[in-house]
Amino acid sequence: MMQTLLSTENRPIAIASTFIVAILLAGTVYTLSTAGTAPLLSPNYLLQQLQTGSFLGICAAGMMMVILLGHIDLSVPWTLTAAAMTATAVGGDMAIPTALAVGITVGVVNGLGVSVLRIPSMIFTLGVDTVLRGLMVAQTGGFAPQDKATPIMLFLAKERMMGIPVAIFVWAAVSVAIVVILTRTGFGRSIYATGSREAAAYLSGIRTRLVIIGAFVASGLCAAIAGVMLAGYSAKAYQGMGNAFLLPAIAAVVLGGTHILGGRGRYIGTLVGVILIVLLNSVLSIMQMPEAGRQIIYGSVIVGMLLVYGRNQRVTS
Amino acid sequence: MSDASLVEPIVEYRGVSKFFSGIRALEKVDFACRPGTIHAILGENGAGKSTLMKIMAGVLKPDAGDVRVSGDAVQFPTPQSACDAGIVCMFQELSLVPDLSVADNICISDPPRRFGLIDRRQQVRRAEELLARVRCEDVDPNSLVRELSLSRRQMVEIAKALGRDPKVLILDEATSALTSRDVQTVYDLLAELKAQGVASLFISHRMHEVDALCDTLSVFRNGQHIETFAKGTKSERDIVRLMIGRDVETQFPEKPLVSSASDAGEAILEVSGLKWGRRLNGIDLTVRRGEIVGLGGLDGQGQKELLLALFGVLRDVDGSVRIGDRKGIPASPAAAKSAVTRMALVPEDRKTEGLMLGMSIADNLLSSSYAQISSGPFIDPTKARDAVAEGIAKLQIKVGAPDDAVMTLSGGNQQKVVIAKWLMIDPDIILLNDPTRGIDVGTKQEIYKLMRDLANEGKAILFYSSDYAELIGCCDRVSVLYGGRVVSEQVGDAITEESLVSASLNIDTEGA
Repeated sequence: MMQTLLSTENRPIAIASTFIVAILLAGTVYTLSTAGTAPLLSPNYLLQQLQTGSFLGICAAGMMMVILLGHIDLSVPWTLTAAAMTATAVGGDMAIPTALAVGITVGVVNGLGVSVLRIPSMIFTLGVDTVLRGLMVAQTGGFAPQDKATPIMLFLAKERMMGIPVAIFVWAAVSVAIVVILTRTGFGRSIYATGSREAAAYLSGIRTRLVIIGAFVASGLCAAIAGVMLAGYSAKAYQGMGNAFLLPAIAAVVLGGTHILGGRGRYIGTLVGVILIVLLNSVLSIMQMPEAGRQIIYGSVIVGMLLVYGRNQRVTS
Repeated sequence: MSDASLVEPIVEYRGVSKFFSGIRALEKVDFACRPGTIHAILGENGAGKSTLMKIMAGVLKPDAGDVRVSGDAVQFPTPQSACDAGIVCMFQELSLVPDLSVADNICISDPPRRFGLIDRRQQVRRAEELLARVRCEDVDPNSLVRELSLSRRQMVEIAKALGRDPKVLILDEATSALTSRDVQTVYDLLAELKAQGVASLFISHRMHEVDALCDTLSVFRNGQHIETFAKGTKSERDIVRLMIGRDVETQFPEKPLVSSASDAGEAILEVSGLKWGRRLNGIDLTVRRGEIVGLGGLDGQGQKELLLALFGVLRDVDGSVRIGDRKGIPASPAAAKSAVTRMALVPEDRKTEGLMLGMSIADNLLSSSYAQISSGPFIDPTKARDAVAEGIAKLQIKVGAPDDAVMTLSGGNQQKVVIAKWLMIDPDIILLNDPTRGIDVGTKQEIYKLMRDLANEGKAILFYSSDYAELIGCCDRVSVLYGGRVVSEQVGDAITEESLVSASLNIDTEGA
């Protein structure tokens, strides 16, 4: 019945949402039976989870633009780190604009490499990631750089407004921007068209090169925003701070139903995917699962859910 | 009938039919091919020649009837089993693997082995022998196929076919890329094989080759075997008549009376000396407003490349082009559609080039016209909805809902989506690449009518079709291409099947 009610795009979102409820219930049953409390259902706890989840959410938003094209951006970790480290090194009012400029620059380089040089994005962005790491090591090598986050970065990542973490507002703003771009602009529709079939999009007079560059810029920009916020959250920037974000960002996008080969996917799915990953992690840590077990469960869930999606699609098509 | 008919046929078709999703490709074909002959298969595009060969080579299975080899009914499950029975086929599309060496390719299906591993030295020796037979001693068996020129590759392909000891050798357009020296080699080789009792089936669109080479000719038309006869019993003119037949079923909209005078409208597209690689060798063409100009000729004579070149898809195109008031070829499709004189192209393959199959009908309809439906950077939902509704209404596209995936539509309606998409930008010049291929008769007629209506509105239409009847029925003028050049231009009532087919084959029947 679900197959008749839900389109291909919405089914993964429904499954992932159901799974989120299941995680919350399972976690609550666990905490009730062991400690007699239900922290997972308290608004404050959930807001705190969303606050830490916002960094991943912003990365995933940018990643989705690229995956919709059928490409991938593996340079996210060090784009994030480079933006954060440059921001703290510059300091003052120019910290955030500089970080965003770093993100845009990396995006343009990635976009040119993929659209003009026609190097597969998986290779090109991996190379860019490595180059950025080298640049950051070179920058910090020998002397301790300025690595303190500026007050505005601290505000964006740590403060609350009306009882809600500011980071969630930032995430919401990025989300609204992405949704508007994807659904309400020619650029956004061109991303879907290009990801769906590049040759047909090109012959329809869509400037596919610009579209590809634009999507990579969006991804770089999002990674830079995440870097600025993460530096604010940790009060400083440090080497390797972005490493934990690459795979969860890709997983969130794909769990949300975006087709890994491009052309199909809704932003709401990516949001659900991010929340799923964040909650799964936090429930596993509440259960005091040892690290090894957490990794195994986390990975199995991702693979398992994708299997479920794939099965359903094959049945209907 | 000649002596050859006394010999037992090596391959015989009895009542063979083949359908592709309901469309007839071959119908109740009886056909025989005898050893020691070189047998030409003639027919227009889509006459069923390639299907005939593919069934023989085990690529396709017949839906009805049976195929006999040396008198026994056979069913080849795979091309390999046809090969084992001695039927070796060289298809139009070269079947060599570019990144393997010449020797690897020649021995690919049955490499010489030693202790279960491929014996490279033996393999190279065998390749050398076969290359010597086709007089290509200059080709190094160890070089990669991708390093060879197209004509050398075709010779390697022939060597590979010889290596399989054919009893029946099928050459499907095998000489299309050869130099004249190599063509002579192939002639000698076929004569040699004929003396050894091999049957060669030869598909070519070059009448003079058929004339020089073959002893028996079979003509196919619309999936039916029309006639088989010995060379010399019919004139070229008779053969052409057999190829085109006489049944025209489709109705075409009336042409305006004035359009036979070519000074009807302003010349909006002028092309002269257009060259691209080896495919376009100096095209001269003029299209006026209010006019439908056809591109005729056999498949692959440069028609598709011409349309792509005009639309800014191809790189390194030489020659002078004037579009409206602008000189030069647009830099990209995006530039072509947004110039002062707007162009649109309905591409050859609607499934991969015309449509984003996975996306909705509405998304496909809007994909060329974001500029027209946006206010500032944002798409205006009202304009978008109106534009989609208008497009669907104008072409009477039968859709459930505009949000359905475009792949749920029938072929004819899909093609209408492609056309409607382009009409949204209100183009001045419309390039059509075989827009009616594979769609039903009813939709075809709607498209013909639409083309005429658009021309009457003052648009210029350049129309390639592989169907001669369409060119005759729709076009005010037809330019026939051969070898990347316009070889003939025909106007108004002078456009006949006979004149088109003759021009396509680049033969002159005027004097006959």
